[in-house]
Parts: sequence; structure tokens; C-alpha cells
Amino acid sequence: MRNIITTHLMHLRTEFMLKMINHSKKRISFQFLIMILVMITCPLAQAEENVIAGTQAANEDSNVLSRVKVDEAFVEWRSGPAEGFPVFHVSEKGEWLSLLIRKTDWMKVRDGKGREGWIRVSDLLKTYDSSGSLVSIVEPQFDDFSTRRWEAGLMHGEFDGAAVNAGYAGYWMTEHLSLELWGSQVLGDSSEILIANINLLHQPFPSWRFSPFFTIGAGQLFIDPKATLAEAENRSEDTIHAGFGARYYIDNRYFIRMEVKDYKVFTNRETNEEATEWKIGLSVFF
Amino acid sequence: MENWTQRILLKKCVALLLLSGLSTLANSQENLLVEPDVRPQIVDESVIDTENFEVGMFVGVMNIEDFESSTLVGARIAYHLSDSLFFEANFGMAEGGETSAEKLGGFDLLADSDYTYYNFGLGFNAPGQTFFLGEYTFNNNIYVVGGVGSTEFGGDSELTVNFGAGYQLLINDWMSLHVAGRQHLMRTDLTGEDKLVFNTELSTGLSFFF
Repeated sequence: MRNIITTHLMHLRTEFMLKMINHSKKRISFQFLIMILVMITCPLAQAEENVIAGTQAANEDSNVLSRVKVDEAFVEWRSGPAEGFPVFHVSEKGEWLSLLIRKTDWMKVRDGKGREGWIRVSDLLKTYDSSGSLVSIVEPQFDDFSTRRWEAGLMHGEFDGAAVNAGYAGYWMTEHLSLELWGSQVLGDSSEILIANINLLHQPFPSWRFSPFFTIGAGQLFIDPKATLAEAENRSEDTIHAGFGARYYIDNRYFIRMEVKDYKVFTNRETNEEATEWKIGLSVFF
Repeated sequence: MENWTQRILLKKCVALLLLSGLSTLANSQENLLVEPDVRPQIVDESVIDTENFEVGMFVGVMNIEDFESSTLVGARIAYHLSDSLFFEANFGMAEGGETSAEKLGGFDLLADSDYTYYNFGLGFNAPGQTFFLGEYTFNNNIYVVGGVGSTEFGGDSELTVNFGAGYQLLINDWMSLHVAGRQHLMRTDLTGEDKLVFNTELSTGLSFFF
């Protein structure tokens, strides 16, 4: 529509110039009127088109699905989210796919005919979205502090010669500093010790893949002697600890963590006790 | 005179109109270049649901060495690290029965017969497909798991190592059925001597992805 108006406008202008040479006043005033009309209606027409485009965009927004166009020669579809599931379909170059759900490195997609299957996220990176730009699935990185505030993990190791199982949850207050809550169970030959700890962890190089850290904290020990032993009372002691360790990011969602902590246990006997603990485990970001 | 004035005025008007006409034309051409009729929709991954967690419950039989078998109930949480590797944690509860000596002698060896355990470890999935009645096809996983944990029985907690295998039938994208077997190894001195015991668990359960 805009093109027609523009062409019309140009015709009018040429005509108008010719008439000017002829000094035809009547014609001039008539053309003048038409020109004003065209000028008024031109922005109006534009506004109308904008409204139509806006409605179309609104309609697309209400459709939550993201769509991509395959740019590889073909993309294999599997029946499930793993390499071991059979390939049952192939999408050709130029086909549009809707993205449904994601499991690990796999994305469930639907094509125009309503078929559903799983494709690799890495195959998706070679497709185009509707703006025509290459799709980049933005995954939070291990050093992406803004998206990774919470982490939790389970670890196993040794506490003063006895086996220990531990779990923790941590919250990153800054890029370097995290606050952690721990629960540990020490399974000794003569007693079971439960430890509740709160500690601060400092990571000097948050962007390193192999990232060392230091930690200090305090907590409480609950000692429960074995039932098969002669009668002994349960007791609890205060404790403080300091330690160091390292985190190694295998993937951007999880990492191996290992650490050594030295505990000072304040007993109500004459001497305080010390214990060394080491642990290794796996942690996950949320 | 009148004619002359009109001509001057008209010339000005026409020049003005031409200018504004041209500028409108330029504007509309510019708009044509930058404004497509359909607004592009950029892929935003945050709108796509990510389902790496799996939670479930199970029931089964726990065979406790020297202390009969009993019903087991438990809960499980798993986090899928990759398409074949997962990290899982389990919690289970059962109850120890009587030893043959207790039955014959008519005494109670255990002050507390509750059997509870927890464990965590890694698992490995081998995917495949299951066919029912030649009509229905389901995805499935055969998996092996192994890990460490603790078992509390007879009032004491012991370090427990476990390993096992299972079959997971993926009913749909968010629900699956498990059948699994697991061995729990631990040292205990409940029967008077310190020995290594093997407790066997057989269970079935449902799990949900989120």
C-alpha cells in the first residue's frame, strides 16, 4: 500500500512541476489540495500498518513456544533424551521446529506436522531462529555469578580415622564469598557423631575451572556412643574449624569438590581435642 | 500585480510542499528498510522447561541378614548429569525381625528393631526400548548404581556401601516406573561378633521428572 502511495506521490510531483510551467492557477490549487490530502493520508496509512504488525507480534507472543529453523543438511530425531535411543526421524534443512522441554543435553521438539522427538542441544546451535540469527542456547557458566547463587552437594570422607558422610547447601553472597550450612555423620567404631556446621567460604579465583577455596566456621558436635558398648552418655560439644579445598567444574551444572578441615573441639574436660577431616563429593548448582 | 503576488506565494508554497513531500518519501523508504511486517521472535531458553531432577517413592522387601525380611518403603531423588550419568540419594525404612536364637530362646536381642538407611552415589543408564503387545513402544533404561551411606539398625549407625541395578520404564516425559535390586554391605557386631553383612533390597516405585 505504501508503495502505491509513494509511486502516486512521485507522479503527482512530476505532473505538478509541468503544470507550474504552464502557470495554470486552477490546476495548481487542485493539485495543491490533492497533495495535502496525500500527505495527511500517508502517515495515517503507515500508522494502520504498524497496528497490524503489532497485533501479529502480540499473537506470536501469546504462543510460548520458541521456534527454530534447521540449517544443517539434516538433524536426527531420537525417541528419547539419550544417544542410545533409536533414531526414528530426520528433519531437513529449512524445517521449522518448536522447542518443548529440555533434559540434560537434549531438547524435545515438535515439527509442523505435530510429530515429537528429541534432538541434541548441540544440533540446535546450528539452527536459525525467526529473526534469522543463529540460535545460541545461553547456558549459565560456572563463573556466571548472577545466575548461580545456590549450590548443594553430598560428600564422603574420613573424620579422625572414621568414615564421614556429609551434605551441604550454600548461598553465594558475592562472587567470592559463600555462606554454607552443613550436616555430617561420622560413623566411628565406638560412637556415632553428628556435626552441624555453619561456615564461610572464600574463593579467590571464581572464574578458574579448578578453583581453590578457604573456609572457616563453627558448629556443634553430638556424640552418641554405640549401644553395644557399656553404658555411656550422649554429649555435645562446641567446635570451630578452618580448612581449604578446591572445586573442579566438570560441566557448567555440577562440579567435584574436595576439602580438608581441621576441627578444634571444646570439651568440658581438661584438654580440648582436635580432629582432621577430608572429604570428596559432587555438588550441583541451582 | 495580483497575478505576480500569487505566483510568488505559490512558488514558495510549492517549494515547501516539495521539500516536505521528499522528506516523507525518504522517511517511508527508511521505514521500509528497518521495519519488517512481522516482528522476529528470538529464542529464549529460559521459557523452555528443563527437567533434570527426578523424585520418586518405592516399596519393596528388605532382607536383613540374621533378622528376617520385612517391608521396605523409601524415597529417592536423582539429578541427571548427562544423558547416561546420574547422581542419586535414597532414604529407606524397614523393620528387623527375630533371629532364630531369639525365637528358640524366647528373648529379645534388639532394643530397637527399626532399620533405616540413607545413601548417595552415582548411576549409569543404558537406554533402550520396550514393546508391549506389538502396539505400544516405551523408552526404558537399564541402570547400575553404586554409592555410600549409613544404616541405623539396633540403635547403631554403620557405614554402608551399596551397589545394584534396575530397570526404568519411561511411561511419558515426566513419569517412570522402576524395578530395582540393591545390595547393602556393612560391618556389624549386633549378633556378638564383628562381621560383614549383606542386606538385599528388592523394590519397585514411581518417579517423576521436574
